[in-house]
Amino acid sequence: MKKLQTRILLRAIVACVVLATFTGCKKEFLDLTPFTALPPSEAFKTEADLRVAMNGLYGGLRATDLFGRTVPVLGDIMADNVYQHSINSNRYTQFNLYTVAVNDGNAAGMWTAAYAAILRANNILDAPLTGTPGIAQIKGEAKAVRALLYFTLVRFFARPFTDNPTALGVPLILTYDLSLRAGRSTVDQVYTQILKDLGEAYTDMTVVTNSSQMSKWAARALEAKVRLNRNDLAGALTAANDVINNSGFTTLIAANNASYWSAATFRTDRLETLFEVSMDVVGNQGFDALTNIYNQLGYGDLLVSDPLYASFTTTDVRRNLYFIAVAPSPRVGGIIVDKYKNLSAERDETKIMRMSDVYLIAAEAASTSNPNAALASLNFILMRRDPSAPAYTSTGAQLMADIMNERRKEFLAEGDRFHDLNRMKVAVERSTNFPAAVRTIDFNNFRRLLPIPETEINVNPTIKTQQNPGYQ
Amino acid sequence: MRKLTVMLLVCLITIGQAWAQMRTVTGKVTDEKGDPIVGASVTVKGTNVGTTTDDAGVFKLDVPANARTLTISSVNFRGQDLAIGSRSSLDAVLASQSSNLDEVVVTAYGTQKKPEITGAISKVNSETLENRPFTSVDKTLQGQVAGVQISSGSGQPGSATDIRVRGFTSITAGNSPLWVVDGVPILSGDASRQTTTGNLLSTLNPNDIENISVLKDASATSLYGARAANGVILVTTKSGKAGKTKFSFDTEVGYSDIAYQNDLYKPLNTAQFVELTREGLVNAGFTQANTDATLNALGANAGQDFDWLGATTRRGQQQNYNIGVNGGTEKTTFNLSGGYFKQEGLSIASQFERFSAALALKHKVNNKLSFNLTTNVGIIDQESPLAGGAFGNPVLASYFLLPTRNAYRPDGSYNIGAPDFPNGALYNAMYIGNTDRRFLKQNSIRTTIGGEYNIIEGLKFTSRYGIDYNVLEEDQYNNPFYGDGQNVNGRSFFAYTRYTNWVWTNMLDYRRALNKAGDITIDLKVGYEANKSTGIFGNVGSQNFPPNTGLTLPIAGATPVTATRSGSDFSFVAAPFSLLNFNFKDRYVISGSFRRDGSSRFGINNLWGNFWSVGGSWNVDRESFMDNQKIFDQLKVRGSYGLTGNASIGNYDWRLLYSYDAPYNQNPGSRPSQAGNPNLTWETNYQLNVGLDFALLKNRISGSFDWYNRRTKDILLNVPTPPTVGFTSFIDNVGEMENKGIELLINIVPVQTRDFKWDLSFNYARNENKILKIAPGQTQTINGINIWKPGYDYQTFFVRQWAGVDPANGDPLWYVDDTKTSKTNNFNLAQRSTEFGTSTPKFFGGFTNNLSFKGITFGAQFVYSGGNYIRDAWGGFYNGSGQNPTFNKVYRQFAERWTPTNTTGGMPRYVYNNGRLAQNFSTFYLAKADYVRLRDLTLGYSLPKALISKIGLTSLNIYGRGTNIWTWVADNKLPWDPEQGVDAQSNLDIFIPKTFTVGLNLGF
Repeated sequence: MKKLQTRILLRAIVACVVLATFTGCKKEFLDLTPFTALPPSEAFKTEADLRVAMNGLYGGLRATDLFGRTVPVLGDIMADNVYQHSINSNRYTQFNLYTVAVNDGNAAGMWTAAYAAILRANNILDAPLTGTPGIAQIKGEAKAVRALLYFTLVRFFARPFTDNPTALGVPLILTYDLSLRAGRSTVDQVYTQILKDLGEAYTDMTVVTNSSQMSKWAARALEAKVRLNRNDLAGALTAANDVINNSGFTTLIAANNASYWSAATFRTDRLETLFEVSMDVVGNQGFDALTNIYNQLGYGDLLVSDPLYASFTTTDVRRNLYFIAVAPSPRVGGIIVDKYKNLSAERDETKIMRMSDVYLIAAEAASTSNPNAALASLNFILMRRDPSAPAYTSTGAQLMADIMNERRKEFLAEGDRFHDLNRMKVAVERSTNFPAAVRTIDFNNFRRLLPIPETEINVNPTIKTQQNPGYQ
Repeated sequence: MRKLTVMLLVCLITIGQAWAQMRTVTGKVTDEKGDPIVGASVTVKGTNVGTTTDDAGVFKLDVPANARTLTISSVNFRGQDLAIGSRSSLDAVLASQSSNLDEVVVTAYGTQKKPEITGAISKVNSETLENRPFTSVDKTLQGQVAGVQISSGSGQPGSATDIRVRGFTSITAGNSPLWVVDGVPILSGDASRQTTTGNLLSTLNPNDIENISVLKDASATSLYGARAANGVILVTTKSGKAGKTKFSFDTEVGYSDIAYQNDLYKPLNTAQFVELTREGLVNAGFTQANTDATLNALGANAGQDFDWLGATTRRGQQQNYNIGVNGGTEKTTFNLSGGYFKQEGLSIASQFERFSAALALKHKVNNKLSFNLTTNVGIIDQESPLAGGAFGNPVLASYFLLPTRNAYRPDGSYNIGAPDFPNGALYNAMYIGNTDRRFLKQNSIRTTIGGEYNIIEGLKFTSRYGIDYNVLEEDQYNNPFYGDGQNVNGRSFFAYTRYTNWVWTNMLDYRRALNKAGDITIDLKVGYEANKSTGIFGNVGSQNFPPNTGLTLPIAGATPVTATRSGSDFSFVAAPFSLLNFNFKDRYVISGSFRRDGSSRFGINNLWGNFWSVGGSWNVDRESFMDNQKIFDQLKVRGSYGLTGNASIGNYDWRLLYSYDAPYNQNPGSRPSQAGNPNLTWETNYQLNVGLDFALLKNRISGSFDWYNRRTKDILLNVPTPPTVGFTSFIDNVGEMENKGIELLINIVPVQTRDFKWDLSFNYARNENKILKIAPGQTQTINGINIWKPGYDYQTFFVRQWAGVDPANGDPLWYVDDTKTSKTNNFNLAQRSTEFGTSTPKFFGGFTNNLSFKGITFGAQFVYSGGNYIRDAWGGFYNGSGQNPTFNKVYRQFAERWTPTNTTGGMPRYVYNNGRLAQNFSTFYLAKADYVRLRDLTLGYSLPKALISKIGLTSLNIYGRGTNIWTWVADNKLPWDPEQGVDAQSNLDIFIPKTFTVGLNLGF
């Protein structure tokens, strides 16, 4: 009987051991990680990981409602540069008509995509990696991109700095916190953060790779533009001159204007482009690309305002980037944007910062303090677009008007004009190509700002009371 | 001293043996009709001494002299104890137990006799599963189990089947029950990735199944813990029976046709189409010249009248063959089977073929140790065309293509390309169906090896290891000349999918009587289980094919476009699971179960969950005060409460993740892809069940009734976050839902004589689903055409209400709001309503009527369902009053359109390219879904044994069977088959078939 009990006991022990073996390893057994993704701790282990995350950040800029299409399109259609033709795919109609509503999809898309990209930048900057020039370079790039994103947001969703620096800006999110319900910082606070990021980016970065990646000169050029928007003319001039004198970047000339615009890939030759968002064979927006909204082989909805086209002299090489539609085009007689030509395979990049911009910023920043220097910079660009044109000799307000006019022609269909009109605090005066009811958009028209998206307002109690006036 | 002890011991043993003198008892075991029962088990009660009866039902057993009682039992018969006394010969007559209390039911991790069961369990036997013209076992269960809604939206052979046990319990997680085959939880559902519809269970031959138990309430299911919330379906495959080796051969052939068609929804012929379109053009203000030109462009003058529906559909052929060998000795039993099944779909390029084999082996090493193996292997080869809005969908083509376009040119070649079928327009479905290829090959092996060891009397250790291995290979080829592949000069994709799933279960089972009579017992089970499932996915694709349709694999394409490999996995550990059953004289039974489950799917803060249930039953008929009544043969009250989990959630949803899908300049790029939630856990079901089982008048009337209330808490929902945090939502356990309902099953035997038996059976279920809570801060969530709103059914339509046609001008009208006080002809001014209805049936069930007279059997099974609406999802195209005027329309559009002379037809004025938005979703496109269908009608004849034994057969049965041959629908404007899946939305799927078969079953 005792023997039997021992045997039972033995068997029970064996059974328990068997059971214990696989309960013992159950912790690892239950820790399964995905095949196609990594936890953040694994995704930020080395400098190489950081570069991959940086690529992801650049890739995030490509979103259709960000630099993929909406940011450059709104910069022209909300101003006086391009209008929506009556034959259209119903994209951006509300901006053509100035009837944007609080639940606008493009505004919400821009906001969402920008903050998603800001998260990518914040995570790179918060990564516990330091100590090599390579890491500093990447973190510098991330700061420059974060600055670009806040600069974009603050100009679309808040009053211009020149109008009211203490007005509500946009929420400043600098680190990941899912529980954060942030309110809007002031415009001034946002600009301060942008300049802080750009200043650090300038010193962090040491390498110029190609135009699709941020470099210290791209950051410096962007700083010049930010300071110009902040009405810090001296600062803008210093930054612009630094880029002009020290970067080694050259500007477009009449002879290479056409080939520059037809090129589909980013540049490595330091010609003109300081920074652009790359659209490559795999990473592109397909039908939703910027090119498709302008090119007649795509949607081709948006056309150039007639008087603007007329203002190009026939000897101006920039005029060749546009043409008058002829039969059998359904948009006969309209002015077609031909700046973007690459609809398949390698697509057109979205230009963010160009050397010509730096020269025109320098001109504008010097227009009162040093008009001769301003004229020199302005004519530097003019001579490289229309060598046979008479040089500008204007002064005072006319000089300023000439600079603005040159900007308008240079950056047509690149999304720049609307922000110029905002910081100048002037009305948008549109041509007869636009609907009659919305040919003059006063500076105080509440739709000069985009609405804070409902998706934000609905779940963020802090920002609930901070909607832009007119959209409440 | 030691030697002495040994000697004494030897002596004692010898004497002991000498005392245990044996004597021989013989006898015969028969059924109520006097036929011998072969293979019945005869044992001396309380010992392992036993034997089985031979072919004549005769047994011969050496029993110890002191043996008092023989226990005689056999599957499907009620066991019997016989006192031996001094007799050396005793015969037993066993009562059939078809509606009997001692029936053994397969339950979670074991079996139980009926009085011990405290939960809601429905059992389905092999007779109702075998030789049905269905591609998978889930389809055969339809209408057979009260409270289980089963519907398949597509008639494609091998299609997926939706199953809901007592309603929907979840919003974002799974709603399908867990399938367990021979104790192993397996993967079910549609695992295909390129195929329009597939079904993992289609590799399992229903003929290999012995029985199925459907577990519905907490008491029955909670041993499956975190995976039990949607119900559990236990499948037991056939096992060997000791005795003479038996052979069986089944064969069946037949054909199928469209089960339901509404004449109002026949596509128009050329004359009708031209008349309608001409009127539409005139109504749209076209000039005579423009009208003629447009009509001619649509082929009105081409002299064609092509029947696309007739061309793309066909009569499907059907064949089914099964062979089986069953037998064994007392020590080793086996069951072998092989099957072949083939079914053609009702559309071109639609078919299904299955080869299957099964083996069950059981070997008893000695009275303590035994091993067993069951293996089921199935290989299917399925061809399925596109569905829904794809231009290559033959069903879409048959309704959208104009009768003015002929599929063939006068010379008999396919009519492809301009002018009739230019690139970019609807495809010539005949060419696509016969040239492009869409194949699914699915191979499954489901196998279990196990051992049982009786440690001591009443204590048993069981170890079981199961593998569920599924491989899917999908080929898609689009030819370079025409159709989906034209723009890229032909393309081909291959998808490889493998799901491997293993389960290891170890369990101690202790059963013990607490009194001498042996009728107060406890049963305690304690076990551990580990389970891991891995999915592997590979894809290759290429384009630029040679101009020859004989080369269809990606290797032939000049330009590679896809080459990816990915995967996904999950694991479960149950440590421990346990069950305690206390049975007092079969009168009172109390059961309790507990399972602690951990899963890789749960967040790090909530890795483990506890699930439990308590249940009780009172077998009133076993009370002494019931001894003298003659009415009730059975009367039992049951109740249970418990909580179960739903872990059918994403494998890695809880993790904060970086994914690598944001490349830049074709260099790898990473991004935070999901916010995760470390607290993420299972959805929990709290279920209360009260049931009543009864049998009266000598089992002439029997049945059961259940009432349940189940509340699902912690439903996973995407909780919106402010976009400024970088994510727009995260997943959290926030929702709540309720299902309340009743289930009723009644069996009646109005006539039972020696030669004639008449059985009636009826089941009915009613379920009310209600969402109780959605994401915080939200009052409702619009989900396409449905709305999730507290207080409303999960599948409530959010829809504008159709208000008919303005008789004055033929404009479509909608009600402005729910008050229905005003109508508008402006679609955009009409409010969407939550009050109209839902796609969830309020009630459903089945009834059967079986007659048998001598060898002749006649059976009819009906299924029914109702109280919900079906959406005609593509109706706007063929009934849109002028929208998409270059597609063909249906007869209803033609017959009911408003004209100045027919102002009450019910449909608006037909305006070519009309802008009245009548094509948009409104209640016009919802039809009442109530239906009754004759699911099965069988007439069979078993030849008399005396006759067939002369040719060496033991049984010969011939039958003819009709499936879905009659359908009644409540709504005479129901466009498509009333079975459209649990979401009740038609998708231009292949027609549901009605099938006629004849079959022969041989036993020898």
